[in-house]
Amino acid sequence: MSLIEVENLKVHFPVRGGIFQTVKDHVRAVDGVSFSIEQGQTYGLVGESGSGKTTTGRAIIGLNDITSGKVLFEGKDLSTINKKEYIDVRKDIQMIFQDPFSSLNPKKRVADIVAEPLRNYENLSAKEERIRVQELMELVGLSPEAIYKYPHEFSGGQRQRIGIARAIALNPKLIIADEPVSALDVSVQAQVLNFMREIQKELNLTYLFISHDLGIIRHMCDHIGIMYKGRYVEHGTSEEIFTNPQHIYTKRLIAAIPDSNPRNREMHYENRKLVKAEYDKLEKDFFDEEGLPFSLKSISATHQVALPERG
Amino acid sequence: MRIDKDSGTQIPDMDLGKSPSGFSILLRELIRDKVAFGSLLFLFLIIAGVFGTSIIMDQSEIIKVDLFALYEPPSATYWLGTDYGGRDIFGQLIIGTRNSLAIGFLVTLLTGIIGILVGLISGYYGGTVDNIFMRFVDFFMVLPILMIVIAFVTAVPGYSILSFSLIMTAFLWMGIARLIRSKALQEKELDYVKASKTLGTSDFKIMFFQVLPNLSSIIIVTMTLNLAGNIGIESGLSFLGFGFPESTPSLGTLISYARNPQTLELRWWIWLPASILIFVLMLSINNVGQALKRATDARQRRG
Repeated sequence: MSLIEVENLKVHFPVRGGIFQTVKDHVRAVDGVSFSIEQGQTYGLVGESGSGKTTTGRAIIGLNDITSGKVLFEGKDLSTINKKEYIDVRKDIQMIFQDPFSSLNPKKRVADIVAEPLRNYENLSAKEERIRVQELMELVGLSPEAIYKYPHEFSGGQRQRIGIARAIALNPKLIIADEPVSALDVSVQAQVLNFMREIQKELNLTYLFISHDLGIIRHMCDHIGIMYKGRYVEHGTSEEIFTNPQHIYTKRLIAAIPDSNPRNREMHYENRKLVKAEYDKLEKDFFDEEGLPFSLKSISATHQVALPERG
Repeated sequence: MRIDKDSGTQIPDMDLGKSPSGFSILLRELIRDKVAFGSLLFLFLIIAGVFGTSIIMDQSEIIKVDLFALYEPPSATYWLGTDYGGRDIFGQLIIGTRNSLAIGFLVTLLTGIIGILVGLISGYYGGTVDNIFMRFVDFFMVLPILMIVIAFVTAVPGYSILSFSLIMTAFLWMGIARLIRSKALQEKELDYVKASKTLGTSDFKIMFFQVLPNLSSIIIVTMTLNLAGNIGIESGLSFLGFGFPESTPSLGTLISYARNPQTLELRWWIWLPASILIFVLMLSINNVGQALKRATDARQRRG
């Protein structure tokens, strides 16, 4: 059984208007998304801004209300579970936030920030708690002496590590990483990413990795889902998506990954033009009248693509 | 002491107490700002002096009418002279300042507590809760405060400092509630609040232990500045004759003697000391408030 299964997840936000603030329409931020993640794997969710990838992550952890669909975590449906049970489940799902500057309370010392989950779930004495916090700090590569500092005394990368230390404090099973490195310097990105992979092995973590950066996704993920306007356009293993993209949208995304070798520049440019031409030609076939992708069709056991209705 | 594994050097145990807390930062800023520090010392002196001497002073003795000593100018017996009832102005000044300050502190404290509670809850939950609370606030805002206080004063003859503070509190908590609400609305959108939710912290704890400390600066500043305002409101009402009766002196009742043109022109000792005192008090409180305001923002700090 997979660790987490998301079935036909929908998150709609009401649009209010008029004199009485009645609900006029819905923003379909997430409109029927299904995927599952195996224990110990990394699942990548890619898409442009507003494609609903962050909303999906937030719905799983309970920050956004689920309109319909199921989120099965170890067989328990998170959308219908009662509050008491939810408190236990919450311990196993943690989140790493995008912005390391606003996700740490500026008035709290690192010791208090990292200890927050421990205080909620584990009854530790002050000394045990301090030792545990220092262990966590060492685990994320920060000096254990730094726990009496305030967040503003750290750099962006260090702050993100503090965020990670907080997320792994309760030994969770699933970590939702919402663009964990997009607010960081490129030189620090690799450092944080490699470190995330290290602790994944060490603690047998499962990641739901949300990003718009395909390079990072390729580096990190076993399976990838590509989202567009709240729906999936393609889903498969990392290998399948990158070597054999089937949907024109995926092809364009992959063509947009910059190539660092200057000798290939011309070739890369030509390739991009070709992909663009194909996209323009086939756009009407691949998206319905509202510009939304069609439902997924399997082309292999692991690979599904939102191919046009008619062949 | 413990030994570092890699280098073998000794690492002193960190102190387990609080690291530089907000309080010591505020104190450092106050000491660094000479004017504010002077104001603070002055305030302490006034408060200690007033509350100290008022213990040994007998209020009933001071408000006793003495027909043989009407309008006495300042002298060795009457340090600041007497009023039209032969009552000692200096004694009235001490008791009056005590009463005015007590009301100021009490009203500030009570409005602060109510305002923070209402503002924080409605700002944090937002939506329907916010709507209900804010309609309450709107309702209180449209009430004519002056009219109601005047009606209260006429209806209840023997009111005390406590009941006067309560009636003022009932109509003065809305400002701070609105302010805290607007700040809480901003603050709850930040990721650290969401992070706390995902870490399983309860709403109550997030509100009072995560969000509230981040509003401390704005709370301290408004409370300090409100203190000056509340003393002013009390004095204003007393000046108009709707505050305390003459049997309970306050800074406002002393200043209100100046409504008599003869007193205003010829008998300065009755109203001038109280006027100067209230002016200096307000100025000092505002100085301290400004310094605190700077201290809560790291970019503006001097110390």
